[in-house]
Amino acid sequence: MAILVTGRIFALLMLIIIWIVILYAMEQAKKKLPPFRKLTGLDALPEMVGRAAEMNRPVHFTTGLGSLTESVAPQLVAGLAVLAHVAELCANYGVKIIYSVYQAQVMPLATELMKSAYVKAGKPEEFIAEESVRYLSGAQFAYASAVQGIAERERPAANIMIGPFYAESMLFAETFNRIGSIQLAGTARGYQIPFFAVICDYLLIGEEIYAAGAYLSKDPQQAGTIRGQDYGKALALILMILGVLMTAVGSSFIVDLLGM
Amino acid sequence: MSVTVKKTIPVVIVAVVAFIVMMDYFLVLPPVNEAGKSWTSSTVTDLQNWGIILTAFSLGFGAVNLFYLHSKHISRRVPGQWMYSLWLLIVIVIFTVIGVFMGPTSDQYNWLYNASYFALSATVYSSLGFYMTSGLYRALRFKTVESGVFTIVGLVVLARNAPAFAVYFPILKTWGSFVSDILTTSAQRGIMIGGALGAISLGIRTMTGRETGFLGKLTEEERGGGAV
Repeated sequence: MAILVTGRIFALLMLIIIWIVILYAMEQAKKKLPPFRKLTGLDALPEMVGRAAEMNRPVHFTTGLGSLTESVAPQLVAGLAVLAHVAELCANYGVKIIYSVYQAQVMPLATELMKSAYVKAGKPEEFIAEESVRYLSGAQFAYASAVQGIAERERPAANIMIGPFYAESMLFAETFNRIGSIQLAGTARGYQIPFFAVICDYLLIGEEIYAAGAYLSKDPQQAGTIRGQDYGKALALILMILGVLMTAVGSSFIVDLLGM
Repeated sequence: MSVTVKKTIPVVIVAVVAFIVMMDYFLVLPPVNEAGKSWTSSTVTDLQNWGIILTAFSLGFGAVNLFYLHSKHISRRVPGQWMYSLWLLIVIVIFTVIGVFMGPTSDQYNWLYNASYFALSATVYSSLGFYMTSGLYRALRFKTVESGVFTIVGLVVLARNAPAFAVYFPILKTWGSFVSDILTTSAQRGIMIGGALGAISLGIRTMTGRETGFLGKLTEEERGGGAV
């Protein structure tokens, strides 16, 4: 009996290659920090929190739908990385932060991240978990209505949405826009990106949200993974060009290879 | 809390579980049962069940959070908030009592759910139409070259999907299809590939304890020594 599952051999091979490349890039980054492309949305975070401090209003953060056990979990973790950074900024500026939770299982993780951020800022006593981390509902539109309610009642000066978003993306973006919040949104869900692009002030598209944690921490090894990711993209591009050329001359080699 | 308890143990657990799940996806490792399933399949199913149990526990955590926050709103009579908080707690109690004593599949529970949440959910969803219209109004404006291109392409696709325009100007169908099938699809695939690679690199960072979204920011000491 075959040990490798047919149809997934090439995918496994590519995964191993990309792993090796990323681990190599992480090692290389220890010697020299790779240069970053500027991500305006993430650079604007201090400005967003600063605006909230000037207006004496809170900052709202949400990571959208999805749980830690679904395929969208990486997007959720990426959002939490930004949450940790924003919580630290809020602690430094003395701004109240509201994190709206859809999945209760994220609460302990988010609470711990935010608590650590406040400790790091030297203000652990200012973090009140029950008021900052708010569980709203595990049902999509109940959660959406609750977030809209927070927007209308507490009027956050800034709204940050990073994670997997579905139909509620437009509801959030429009509501916060109406109350005058400055907004940063990021998702890897293709259908929602245009909605955010139209309304929000800053946008992170697809892979940019995964790079956010590394970008904000400026940790050399984390930055190395982004370099490794770029090598992976170059590899994908080469395969695509080869596929187009070979298909054009009548060869199905690349197509067969991908289906292995 | 020591670094071992706070970081090393969770990272090791995540790495081991991730390897088992990936092995189950790519490999069929012996011993294999009569159904042709590897031992990893039953292990993965067990792990998923553990996840469901942990999620159920965390729901209790969420309920406590809800009661704490909204009781505070009520006791402080927060203007514009406390009456909603009171209503929320009443509804939670009603649903809980009926669910516990009559069962979540009973006619009474189903009626309550369909008559309240189902109707409200559909209402919120349908309000999306208005939000999309106002968003579109803001988007379709000539401000820069990019927004001009966006406006023209948006109007072509909009006209293509409006039956009256498509009947009188059949060329719109070809243009609209070119935009949605060629331009949009190729851009979406580029985003998908980038996203998949980003997820892989985030996975590696998580499995090696470098991801800040999973265990928080690393201290200088941990950065030097590594978390694992």
